[in-house]
Amino acid sequence: MIEAFRVGAVSRGRTLWEGLDLAAGDGEIWVVTGPPACGKTLLMRILRGERRPDSGDVVAGGESLYRGSPGHNLRFRAFSGMVPEYLPVPPGRTVGDLFRLSALAAGGVVAAERTRRMEELLAIMGLPGVEGAEVSSLSASERARAALAVELFRSPKYLFLDMLLANAGREWEERLWGLFRALAKEEKTILLMERRLPDRWQGAKEILSLSAGPFTWSRMAAFPPQRQGAPAAPAPSGVPGDRPGGEAGGDGTPGQDGPAREATKGEE
Amino acid sequence: MSGPSLWWIDWSLHGKPMRRETVGRFLLCFFVASYFLAMLLSGGGNRFLSAQYTMTVILRGGVPDEEGEGIGGKVAALPQVREANYRNPEQAWKEFLAAYPGLESVRSAGKNPLPGYVEIRLRPGGMSEEGIAGVRDALEPLPQVEKILSGGDVMASLLRMKRWANAVLWGGFALACVVFAIVLGMQEKARAARLAPEVSFLADRGVPGGRIAARRAAGAFVAGGLLAFLAAGASCAAMFFLSGRFSFVRVAVGPAQELQDARVALPAALFLLSAAILQALASLAGWRAAFPKGR
Repeated sequence: MIEAFRVGAVSRGRTLWEGLDLAAGDGEIWVVTGPPACGKTLLMRILRGERRPDSGDVVAGGESLYRGSPGHNLRFRAFSGMVPEYLPVPPGRTVGDLFRLSALAAGGVVAAERTRRMEELLAIMGLPGVEGAEVSSLSASERARAALAVELFRSPKYLFLDMLLANAGREWEERLWGLFRALAKEEKTILLMERRLPDRWQGAKEILSLSAGPFTWSRMAAFPPQRQGAPAAPAPSGVPGDRPGGEAGGDGTPGQDGPAREATKGEE
Repeated sequence: MSGPSLWWIDWSLHGKPMRRETVGRFLLCFFVASYFLAMLLSGGGNRFLSAQYTMTVILRGGVPDEEGEGIGGKVAALPQVREANYRNPEQAWKEFLAAYPGLESVRSAGKNPLPGYVEIRLRPGGMSEEGIAGVRDALEPLPQVEKILSGGDVMASLLRMKRWANAVLWGGFALACVVFAIVLGMQEKARAARLAPEVSFLADRGVPGGRIAARRAAGAFVAGGLLAFLAAGASCAAMFFLSGRFSFVRVAVGPAQELQDARVALPAALFLLSAAILQALASLAGWRAAFPKGR
């Protein structure tokens, strides 16, 4: 579980937000939506343990990522995967090279096993046979999917995905939703940072809580499947979804209250 | 085949430039190894000088051949002496006539005017004031010895020049080592810088930079040792070829067969170890230069 307590961030002399609370449990899918430059990527980095928040703290596995031991922070990163909005890949690097790197990060994987899993994951992502292709030759959608496949190679417990849906394209929203549901069933925690919530996902009526403001927090219930329009899973105590006022309407419209909204008071 | 390891991350992700750089590194290592082995064999100018230099021990007239040969044998047993050959008066006379034909009249009275003598050649390592003095000290007390010809004052200045020449040659070796180290450092810095995106990727996924640096250094140690071994092997092969083909190489450097001697084996092993350690240190230094704050 990843828990953020009263987290705040300042960027370029401007307070982006403060007092944010979040608790992403095992098997949960969270979507954070907001306009450009509202700090989605910054929040992701804070939750990943890469950037110390200007206030508050982030706890993962019961220990602070910033006030705990450096070893804990490293272990958490080792258990988490990340797809950045822009994948920095030097020229000449192939998709296979990225899998090789991922295998290194995983502590080494036997070559035959690596090839087998790489082919399997690329096929799932609709990219069969691209392992020898240069990453720079791929489209934005292909890059995003290849990057996700590379992260899934390590079977991370936590997945942080920055603008993955936007980069992958609308055509992939449905399939990725299915994939994420399957991953959530394996108790993996998934956090997506997006500009908007995909239409089809909203139509699924599985949104537990939303709030207005620069951020919109959406905890997507992945399983067990619930009846339409009802919360899919009970929100953990003390998290935004607990607050009745913060829950989404049955039509998927954002609620108008909740800690996230409180947290954004005074912004902009 | 096992999966990629941080030990070989450069080879795994940058195989092509690594192969190119390794060729250059091998050639440089081959040059340094050849220089070192040549210096070990020749001792700088020692071998050349010892090939040109002989001490001559002139015996008194009437010394029997057995005693002359005994003196030759005693001298040959000295550690700094490579060989000592006794020439009896008759052999000395023949050599004299061969060198100065037409002087047969000197022996017109029938008596051989030349005494017997012992010709001594020193080992390259014995070509020093101490080595020469040691031979003199061993021979001078002998009543059969008339005179010892060891070069006199000329030899002293020659040995001084040899010391300077050796200093210059070893200085050249040190310079080659420094150049080798600088090239290694530059190569390793470029390698580490080239690896920056991958290091960033791995660091983001919980692999500490220190661990990457340490594993790369271990890989550089193993690869560097192997490279130095191959370069030294190629150097030995080249020496066998050259010394078998060119006599001046045998005179100036020495016979390549001596590479099998124990006196060469230990320094050669130390050279390989030093080369491996140097490459591991260069890997760490290159890492530190590319990532000064440590990642």
